[in-house]
Amino acid sequence: MKRRKMDLAEAPKTFAKGVDDRFQAATPLRGLLNKVFPDHWSFLLGEIALFSFVVLLGTGIFLTLFFDPSMKEVAYDGEYLGLRGTMMSAAYESSLHISFEVRGGLFMRQMHHWAALLFMASIIVHMARVFFTGAFRKPREINWVIGVILFLLGFFAGFTGYSLPDDGLSGTGLRIASAIMLTLPVIGTWLSAAIFDGEFPGHVIIGRFYIAHVLLIPGLLLALIAAHLGIVFKQKHTQWPGPLRTNTNVVGERMFPRYAMKQGGFFMAVFGVIALMAGVFQINPIWLFGPYRAAEVSSASQPDFYVMFMDGLVRLMPNWQIYFGNYSLPPMFWPAVVGLGALFTLPMAYPWLEARKLKDYRTHNLLQRPRDNPERVGIGMMALTFFVIATISGGNDVIADKFHISLNAMTWAGRIGLVILPPLAYYISVRICLGLQQHDRQVLAHGVETGIIKRLPNGKFVEIHQPLGPVDEHGHPIPLEYAGWTVPKKMNRIGALAPAVKGFFFPVEKPAEAPVSPAVGGTTKREEIKSGR
Amino acid sequence: MTSDTPARRRARVFARRAGAPSRVRRRLGAAVRMLAALALAGGVYTAFTPGAFAEDNVQLSAAAQEGKAIYDTSCISCHGRDGQGVTERGPSLIGVGSASVEFQVGTGRMPMARQEGQAEQKPPQFDDAQTEQLAQYVQEIGGGPELPAGTLVEDLESNPDALARGGELFRVNCTSCHGFGGGGGALSSGKYAPSLGASTPEQLYAAMLTGPQNMPVFGDNQLTPEQKKQIITYITLQLQEDKDPGGLFNLGRYGPSTEGVAIFLVGITLLVFTSLWIAGKS
Amino acid sequence: MTAVDHGETGTPVDVNDPHLTRFDIVKEGLRRDDIEIVTYESHFHGPNSKAEKRIVRNISFLFLLSGVLTLAFLVFYIAWPWKWELGHQLSDYYTPILGVTLGLGLLSLGFAILAWAKKLLPHELSIQQRHGEPSSDDERLIAGQTMLYVADELGVQRRPLLKGAIALGMAPLGLAIGAPVIGGLIQNPHKDEEPMMYRTGFNPAGNGGKPVRLTREDGSPIRPDDVSAGGQMTVYPGIPHGATNEHADSPTLLIHLRADDAATTRAAADGDKNGRNKGSMWGNYVAYSKICTHAGCPASLYEQQTNRLLCPCHQSQFLITDNAQPVFGPATRRLPMLPLTVDEEGFFVAASDFKDTVGPDFWERP
Repeated sequence: MKRRKMDLAEAPKTFAKGVDDRFQAATPLRGLLNKVFPDHWSFLLGEIALFSFVVLLGTGIFLTLFFDPSMKEVAYDGEYLGLRGTMMSAAYESSLHISFEVRGGLFMRQMHHWAALLFMASIIVHMARVFFTGAFRKPREINWVIGVILFLLGFFAGFTGYSLPDDGLSGTGLRIASAIMLTLPVIGTWLSAAIFDGEFPGHVIIGRFYIAHVLLIPGLLLALIAAHLGIVFKQKHTQWPGPLRTNTNVVGERMFPRYAMKQGGFFMAVFGVIALMAGVFQINPIWLFGPYRAAEVSSASQPDFYVMFMDGLVRLMPNWQIYFGNYSLPPMFWPAVVGLGALFTLPMAYPWLEARKLKDYRTHNLLQRPRDNPERVGIGMMALTFFVIATISGGNDVIADKFHISLNAMTWAGRIGLVILPPLAYYISVRICLGLQQHDRQVLAHGVETGIIKRLPNGKFVEIHQPLGPVDEHGHPIPLEYAGWTVPKKMNRIGALAPAVKGFFFPVEKPAEAPVSPAVGGTTKREEIKSGR
Repeated sequence: MTSDTPARRRARVFARRAGAPSRVRRRLGAAVRMLAALALAGGVYTAFTPGAFAEDNVQLSAAAQEGKAIYDTSCISCHGRDGQGVTERGPSLIGVGSASVEFQVGTGRMPMARQEGQAEQKPPQFDDAQTEQLAQYVQEIGGGPELPAGTLVEDLESNPDALARGGELFRVNCTSCHGFGGGGGALSSGKYAPSLGASTPEQLYAAMLTGPQNMPVFGDNQLTPEQKKQIITYITLQLQEDKDPGGLFNLGRYGPSTEGVAIFLVGITLLVFTSLWIAGKS
Repeated sequence: MTAVDHGETGTPVDVNDPHLTRFDIVKEGLRRDDIEIVTYESHFHGPNSKAEKRIVRNISFLFLLSGVLTLAFLVFYIAWPWKWELGHQLSDYYTPILGVTLGLGLLSLGFAILAWAKKLLPHELSIQQRHGEPSSDDERLIAGQTMLYVADELGVQRRPLLKGAIALGMAPLGLAIGAPVIGGLIQNPHKDEEPMMYRTGFNPAGNGGKPVRLTREDGSPIRPDDVSAGGQMTVYPGIPHGATNEHADSPTLLIHLRADDAATTRAAADGDKNGRNKGSMWGNYVAYSKICTHAGCPASLYEQQTNRLLCPCHQSQFLITDNAQPVFGPATRRLPMLPLTVDEEGFFVAASDFKDTVGPDFWERP
């Protein structure tokens, strides 16, 4: 038998061949390398959430190495002088240990917390983008629902994590969580007793929250994030309408190398911003809060910002208690249970509600400019206004204190604002959308205002409009159809939409032709590209 | 302590004031300057005409006489002759003690710019010597709680436990209004607990001892002088002087509300600009 | 080769043709994936242009800067004093330095990669067909029929006995799996021997039948003299672990009212509609549960002049002089009053447990 010589140059080839023999990977790999992604800044907002989740996983694993989820009472004798000798739970003690005795532990804790805030904040911004552009429409309703569930899971991941250090502030939050459970009709006391293993606070809640926070919720999050991305991958990303872009294609750049590099660079940027914030801004100084004691509380007791809307609704709720004979329904039931439930189920149902109302059951791969669906923008702004007022009311005591406003006045302003402002936001945003629509149509019909005033022989002054498209024999522009694209509204922006002329290849479109309808854009002959560089 | 204390009388007047219609707390600079000018003029006048009122209270010490001179120009219009109080304007000062004067005048809350729900802290109008003289005068006409002599901050070298004990007492007694970080907080209907960020040990001690405005009184039976000193030690060494270890900025230690603002104003803003650049044409 | 019309799939090429360039093979792949490159252009005029060199320099600088900053992170991580000390110390800058070096290091790395992708790589515009069409009707029919055939094979439809037996046979399994999960968690909140919803640490039953003293956090009992008029004190039941979270519903606010406020309060308490607060004051002292009846936070912001108690969580306000009735905010129920008296040694004791239910409201509260 001839002894085969190892050829190093051939090694990758042999390896690749082996892989393909076993997994038939070549064709799918080519598909992956070639997959085209549309490019727009607003498509990167969801990535912020994804990347902060990665940071959360990494920093979270670090924290579990030191955290002790036990409520056993111990006397603190660590580095931090201001608590030495104080009785506290082992959970709180180990959180202090991470902050003061683990080298870089405080930095990791703060990164974890800032990453959590960034995760939730970017989910909100991403959801707003998806909603206002109509990206949730068929065939992406399920992914929208998964997104809403991801927010809900993030909400609970955040709340359980915030509770783990068992400090004075988070203990107050737990107390309120128990009170919210108690408001449930019939089963309230049973539910609270089951979760806290008897009377609040009991001895097990930190351990139970710990396993929820490090295993159950992250597991679900991971699975749903995978599903979320998988569906985006399968259905291909939506794109804005524009030249060459149709409902059946994706216009953008191939995944490798440029798009993937952008993603990698953006991950570094997100990670960098989290690290920067964790170093520059102190977050959740638990050593000042002290261990949780049922008798101790601080002014300005608030949950993290993504729970604040609920706290705000609870603050604004009037003291209406409903009695059923010997039984009663506390007022907190409405904002905390019904409110939270509605805020999560209504958005989930929205894609089908909208499709039903518009009788629109077609597949949409092109986004809609927000102005083209004023109704949706109005509803979205209404919901957003409601959310923002509720969130602000969650911090109304801090605002009252720092801006010297009466606390009671803040509460009343919130109550009235919650009723009046959302419909107002609806009306105003619908009107703005209609106005923008009208202006688009006007420019398409008459051309762009040039700012040049012409005096006619009869003494009349007129402004010259530069036509966007062809003109008739009198030089008047022929009105163009609106195609859902951005309409250029300044003279110097005309032509900016077309690809640049310079380069190795002939231009595929004439620059001046930019704002034309898709029918014209698609049929031009193109020179083939001869070589890659 | 009996129930009919002067502090109670003072509270009665304040309580009425709290119900007064105007609660606008904006500082009226002009009024303050006017008062200051009047006080200065009065001070100068009395300084050059010593003994003008001396016959009335021959038993007053020299410092108290100086204090009385200031009192008669700056305080008498609301608190009345010899600290008897004026109905609807100012409470009696009999029995409030020098500690109360040192707090109210030393923090600039007195003289008030005008009648309002809560006396606002402002730059003090009298220097330390004058404040002491006023305090001496009020102490001599009616008695009441006094600040102890000596330092009010425990020495951690000899008593390292003071900080943690002070922290425990602070969280039980003080945080509910002044907050974990000592940044202050809102009370009902426009009243508020002030920030402790710039309070001196003397002011802190006097405030606990006398319960100014809506703050409860922490008498020496409830919090012993030693415990008060521990609280002051915690406030000065931990909350005021200790640099926050978690960052260059502590976001005011307001907790999640400012953290939520920061994540949008800094985190989301930076990253949105980054993504605008990434997807930008240039 | 000639121009290709948009929308056509183009002509296949033989990828084994030795004359093909690598890009030709890439293009064949694109064709098979239904992708057309519309524009593909460099940012620069010709190779090694001045602009390109400048950008390469900038990107290299960013990469190097990232390396320097990350190294600085390591150096500071190891060498900078990091143990917390009281006061303004170098160690207070440990976390900021870590954050700034790592953060800026990552940002420079990120921007180096981004600039590389954005400025050096050719700008391209590609079009890929989506192929999002649903399956053909035939395919759907086949899949549907196959599933129905599977059901037929099982034959449950034809054998009603089996259907019932499966339902009855498998349902208990589901319950059996669920039972330990639920059953292990269930606690009866209304156990007779320890009615946790209605009993606090001040109940004499927890103290061998003797009235429970009011104590400070350290367990020391309280004399009336200890609280100044206009003052308040947080008190706990004087039983073992009375001041810990074992008795989270027991913290109480003992308030020494001024004489005329006390008179008003006493009149209100004695005129209490259901009579529960009658005679609960002792002298000018009154004690209210500190646990807010709304959400359970300590309602402990005591305003001594306006005689209000404010809860910092949801801003419920209670009027001390009127049985702690809520006067503002979401709370609906007054704070329970603790019946006060003084024992033979002159210390405060609770004459009995709270007569109203302490803590947040719930469905079956009597």
